[in-house]
Amino acid sequence: MLWTVGFAVSQNVGFSPTLHNCGNKFEKWATLRMERGAKEKNHQLYKPYTNGIIAKDPTSLEEEIKEIRRSGSSKALDNTPEFELSDIFYFCRKGMETIMDDEVTKRFSAEELESWNLLSRTNYNFQYISLRLTVLWGLGVLIRYCFLLPLRIALAFTGISLLVIGTTVVGYLPNGRFKEFLSKHVHLMCYRICVRALTAIITYHDRENRPRNGGICVANHTSPIDVIILASDGYYAMVGQVHGGLMGVIQRAMVKACPHVWFERSEVKDRHLVAKRLTEHVQDKSKLPILIFPEGTCINNTSVMMFKKGSFEIGATVYPVAIKYDPQFGDAFWNSSKYGMVTYLLRMMTSWAIVCSVWYLPPMTRETDEDAVQFANRVKSAIARQGGLVDLLWDGGLKREKVKDTFKEEQQKLYSKMIVGNHEDRSRS
Amino acid sequence: MPACTMGNEASYPEEMCSHFSQDEIKRLGKRFKKLDLDCSGSLSVDEFLSLPELQQNPLVQRVVDVFDTDGNGEVDFREFILGASQFSVRGDEEQKLRFAFSIYDMDKDGYISNGELFQVLKMMVRDNLKDWQLQQLVDKTIITLDRDGDGKISFEEFSAVVGGLEVHKKLVVIV
Repeated sequence: MLWTVGFAVSQNVGFSPTLHNCGNKFEKWATLRMERGAKEKNHQLYKPYTNGIIAKDPTSLEEEIKEIRRSGSSKALDNTPEFELSDIFYFCRKGMETIMDDEVTKRFSAEELESWNLLSRTNYNFQYISLRLTVLWGLGVLIRYCFLLPLRIALAFTGISLLVIGTTVVGYLPNGRFKEFLSKHVHLMCYRICVRALTAIITYHDRENRPRNGGICVANHTSPIDVIILASDGYYAMVGQVHGGLMGVIQRAMVKACPHVWFERSEVKDRHLVAKRLTEHVQDKSKLPILIFPEGTCINNTSVMMFKKGSFEIGATVYPVAIKYDPQFGDAFWNSSKYGMVTYLLRMMTSWAIVCSVWYLPPMTRETDEDAVQFANRVKSAIARQGGLVDLLWDGGLKREKVKDTFKEEQQKLYSKMIVGNHEDRSRS
Repeated sequence: MPACTMGNEASYPEEMCSHFSQDEIKRLGKRFKKLDLDCSGSLSVDEFLSLPELQQNPLVQRVVDVFDTDGNGEVDFREFILGASQFSVRGDEEQKLRFAFSIYDMDKDGYISNGELFQVLKMMVRDNLKDWQLQQLVDKTIITLDRDGDGKISFEEFSAVVGGLEVHKKLVVIV
């Protein structure tokens, strides 16, 4: 158990890759132990398909219906049938596949792990396997709650207070180079303290591509921590809605030191206004790059969902960033329908650590023949490719809303074309 | 999504008569619980429609109806397993053809009538085709397939056309 304590302490005061590796090896041992125990009792612990419970066959509507019809080649080949009874097979199968396992809803809950990391929250089949493992888990709980948690809360408290006080003080200075310099460094220092408070082990890649003034930084969104992770390695202007309470205090203090873009609740709905303010900000080269999360909601870091086109219409240079969390030591995904912000932060602070990788991708600009949506999709694919995430066209807003009717009608249109198209050919001949 | 605490995961009745192993049933059980948003023990059409990809599938109502063997409007776990079992790779041809037949046979009387075929086709095309165009297709299909001249398509007439072409292999979902 000494390694766990040593590991946790070292993470709080500095980064130690060797202990990180030890951590992984230890977990593998714990998992093997559990699997052995499970086999003895003839239980199955983990699904073999960790990406879903079925093996999917991805074919399009047209391809598959044509294939089904072709296999019924008892008909003459020139007499293309307009409608076949077997056409429903495609819809039935697709429907069944979706019922068994769909691509969308599983993005809104935390990823399931292959090996257990001694957090009961990630073990969905928690059973008593052996005394040794339970004791280890108990010790883990002790360390996490009684030792790490108070340490982290103290650090978080320090970080936030320093941010508020620091930025307010800097706010009193006259505008100028010195103020900007101080403000950047105050922000940076406080974010770095917050990173320690969460024991976040971050690996930054390709730092030469870091966003510059007058640009927009876009990244995939998994949790509010994303902001802290990015802002502890660069200087950004934040965009967001004005909140009340503690968040509001922080926001008001921050904006005294340097310009951030905070919107009132009512202004958020007005897309024109939002676009105007963002454009004004990026055109001023002295202002810091804006940080935006175009998905609009938190996704569980296995995929990237639809990017809202607003930020891509402005015409500024876009600096894409891919953030990939390693859920082994603690899952960073914020399931906002399950946990409130405070509960979420407590869960973060009682995990072992938050491990993630950040890739700064080369800047992209909109091409002349592209519209905002195509540009957004291009950026999204680049981010998904780099982070090893699934690139989905689905809207993250589906967490809370239904699919728009236009999508429903698409399938029907496609199928109708298959029937009607042939019909028209025949009437012409 | 709420997690249901109901149900005993450890054992499922063997008389389920499905093609699934205990392990596959367990996985499907987990999926069932996840879909059952109000923890009522059975899935309503609305709960199926909470899946965005199903919302765009024109035949979802028919598939749910075919699953719902007792006709109470909801699919309980037994019906779920039995329904999914028909898509198992271990299922036989006749089972799959019967499933496909039931999609058309809305009143479950063993025959596909002109009206039923029209309604199912209408679900698949919506307003993209005019009613008279649809009716033409339906009439043509029935005339071509109806051997005994009763104006309806029986299961035998259905399988004569659709079966034996290995088309049923398309109705497979591997769990």
